[in-house]
Amino acid sequence: MLEGLSRSFGGLVAVAELSLAVEEGQIYAMIGPNGAGKSTTFNLISGLLAPDAGRILFGGRDITALPAAPRTHLGIGRTFQVMQPFHDMTVLENVMVGELFGHVVPKSLEAARRDAEAVCALVGVEPLMDRTVQGLGVADLKRLEMARALATHPRLLLLDEVMAGLTPSEAQHAVGVIRRIRDGGVTVLLIDHVMSSVRDLAERVAVLNFGRKIAEGSFAEVAQEPAVIEAYLGEEAGSPP
Amino acid sequence: MTAGRGISLAVALILAVAFPFWANEAQPYYLQIAINIIIFAVLALSWDILARTGQLSLAHAAFYGLGAYTSALLTLRAGLAVIPAMLAGALLAAIVAAGLGVLTLRLRGIYFAIATLAFSETLRVTTNQLQFTGAATGLVAPPLLGGQRVVQYLAILTVLVLVVLVSWLVNRSRLYFAFTAIRTNEDVAATMGVDVVRYKVFAFVVSAFFAGITGAYYAHVFLFISPIEAYSLAVSVGALVAPIFGGLYTTAGPVIGAVALRLVEEFLRSAIRSGYLIIYGLILAVVILYMPSGLAGVWATMRGRRRV
Amino acid sequence: MVIFGVLRSGLYALAAVGLALSVGVIGIVNFAHGEFLMLGAFLGYWLYASYGVDPLAAIPFGAAAIFVLGGAIYRGAIQRVLRAPELNQMLLTFGISIFLQNLAVILWTGDPRVATVPYKATAVSIGGFTVGLPQLIVFVIAMTLTLALYAVLGRTRIGKAMRAVAQNRLGAALLGIEVERVYLLAFGISTALAATAGMMITLQLSVSPYIGLLYTLKAFAIIVIAGLGNINGVIYASLVLGLSEAFVEFYVPHGGGWAEGVFFLLILLVLIVRPRGLFR
Repeated sequence: MLEGLSRSFGGLVAVAELSLAVEEGQIYAMIGPNGAGKSTTFNLISGLLAPDAGRILFGGRDITALPAAPRTHLGIGRTFQVMQPFHDMTVLENVMVGELFGHVVPKSLEAARRDAEAVCALVGVEPLMDRTVQGLGVADLKRLEMARALATHPRLLLLDEVMAGLTPSEAQHAVGVIRRIRDGGVTVLLIDHVMSSVRDLAERVAVLNFGRKIAEGSFAEVAQEPAVIEAYLGEEAGSPP
Repeated sequence: MTAGRGISLAVALILAVAFPFWANEAQPYYLQIAINIIIFAVLALSWDILARTGQLSLAHAAFYGLGAYTSALLTLRAGLAVIPAMLAGALLAAIVAAGLGVLTLRLRGIYFAIATLAFSETLRVTTNQLQFTGAATGLVAPPLLGGQRVVQYLAILTVLVLVVLVSWLVNRSRLYFAFTAIRTNEDVAATMGVDVVRYKVFAFVVSAFFAGITGAYYAHVFLFISPIEAYSLAVSVGALVAPIFGGLYTTAGPVIGAVALRLVEEFLRSAIRSGYLIIYGLILAVVILYMPSGLAGVWATMRGRRRV
Repeated sequence: MVIFGVLRSGLYALAAVGLALSVGVIGIVNFAHGEFLMLGAFLGYWLYASYGVDPLAAIPFGAAAIFVLGGAIYRGAIQRVLRAPELNQMLLTFGISIFLQNLAVILWTGDPRVATVPYKATAVSIGGFTVGLPQLIVFVIAMTLTLALYAVLGRTRIGKAMRAVAQNRLGAALLGIEVERVYLLAFGISTALAATAGMMITLQLSVSPYIGLLYTLKAFAIIVIAGLGNINGVIYASLVLGLSEAFVEFYVPHGGGWAEGVFFLLILLVLIVRPRGLFR
């Protein structure tokens, strides 16, 4: 749950008094035109950025002052929009990093390895496990991102534009994966521009524009708000149905 | 580790241990060279361990010199016995590294390197100034283990085995994942739950400890240190070129690089009395330009493997 | 003391502004910067010792020579790592630095040398203070050259091209600016400026192959204080360094040696407290 978060960069207000409440076990989506402050919000939640004002509560606990790594230990995991694999390592090793340092501490390297393999299977990168990261395609890199984040056994998973660049069938597959993740008890907060996927997945949606929340509700409710339609007019990325 | 690998390593170790006894009788000069090579190898490995977290130090000599001077001063002024003094020297180097590590946490790549270089230069200059540290004239230190070359050799060989073990363990454990993640991208590593601060400082401390003990060893084996030698650029440059040449982030790479480079250096030294460091500059430039993964990379490519 | 510090800043500014140019325009931190300074110094010394040419008079020649050398090194080596990770660039220039330093040692041995020009000990009175004539001349020349560089950057076409490239490489290329040539030119100028500073050093201080590193670090301290890529701030930053060193020399007992450590403290301080520099 976020309360009144604000964050500026220089003179640019990125996020202004944003308040969101995400319930456990929900799939919650944040949408909005480019530059609306969505990625900044993710950075604030995962701990890479500190807010200028406001609080972040996770499971009832105020984590606003907590740095990034402890937040992961509490159970917040995320993927990155610009894919950032650890390029010196194989796919499996990448996932193992999440496994070894995440929310659940494995009993041994072997146990971590097995868990990591299971995560890879869940996400669909099992055949690539021993390959180095160079030369992987977009879809596979996205899956790697997800696998790595999943390996930290998060209670809250932040998915940053995982649908971008995927073919419709890959997107379908990803939707299935995300649903299974949620069914496993993980709360999902996602950012995306691919509206069809958002519509399929999200139980609740918040629309951001210029760092402010301009609408909140189910996908259908939000799509009809005049403020939302106006925000998207002229935007290329996805169109409200 | 395969049986074949294990056996060859064991054989190598036995030969290494037997070597000094033979050399002392037959060719004492070889023993000297061997000691130098091992010192270099320890230094190179210690640098590599730090480099695995992405902290490329341009001034490993700082810790080398700190170890040397602390140990020498403790034996000369405080009357401490040699071996405890050496350990104390290494410990001090490690503590200073912890402090420096914390200070430089937020400095990325180049800035970190500059900071280390500036640190080393400053140490050199202040040591040069203070009467307490012997100023420019330097210090004469008491010998280790009675000056017996054979025993001294075995001592540094032990240190080498130790640091090889540490390096090997690091690459086999959780630490490998932590270090590599931090090196690649600190922010992402933190998001995956890696405690970046702890691991960076840890690497720094371990690295400095071994550099420090090498410096202290040098002081008590070669019996004389001065700011120019202890904080010399030659040490810093050597410590970084050897791993780059031999293969970064591996255990074998720095050792191979150290042996190869030191042999070349010995050869050059007989031809050119000073300025032989030029070969390091040349090799560094050539490796960066043409062989980014060093000797180990070339080897791996030839054998069709990705990682040594 | 203040005058002392100010005079010294002039030389520092000249030494540093070349590095600032290289960092700002090309984006590469040239660790070998000080070696070009050292080479310039040796060149100046050699011309004086062999032909009796006053180092100051030899400046155009020396600057041109090093400009060519710098350009050659750029073409031969540095150009290749422009797209490589920053650390590779750093290691390469570091390697070049070691190479040049030791080349000098091999060619000219490590002994320090001084060019004792006839007017070395002459002093001049300014407003009640006595200053050495060489120091004064060096300051004037250094300042003039630095300001001249600013003028070039601000007024001439090539200067504007450099500033454009410094700010936005792609944009500049789209505008038709030949980025590669600008880089080459910038690097050449940066080394030439360093060499000029070096030639002036022979007048006052002894030069040895080992001074390069120290000046690289001091230049780096200055550009860090000014803020990376901020060429205009170099003069003020040099004043900071020059005055701090002078302060330590005068007021700290046995200050002479300690003053040499000032730059390190400044580097650390600025990088930790205000990484963007003091004069942004």
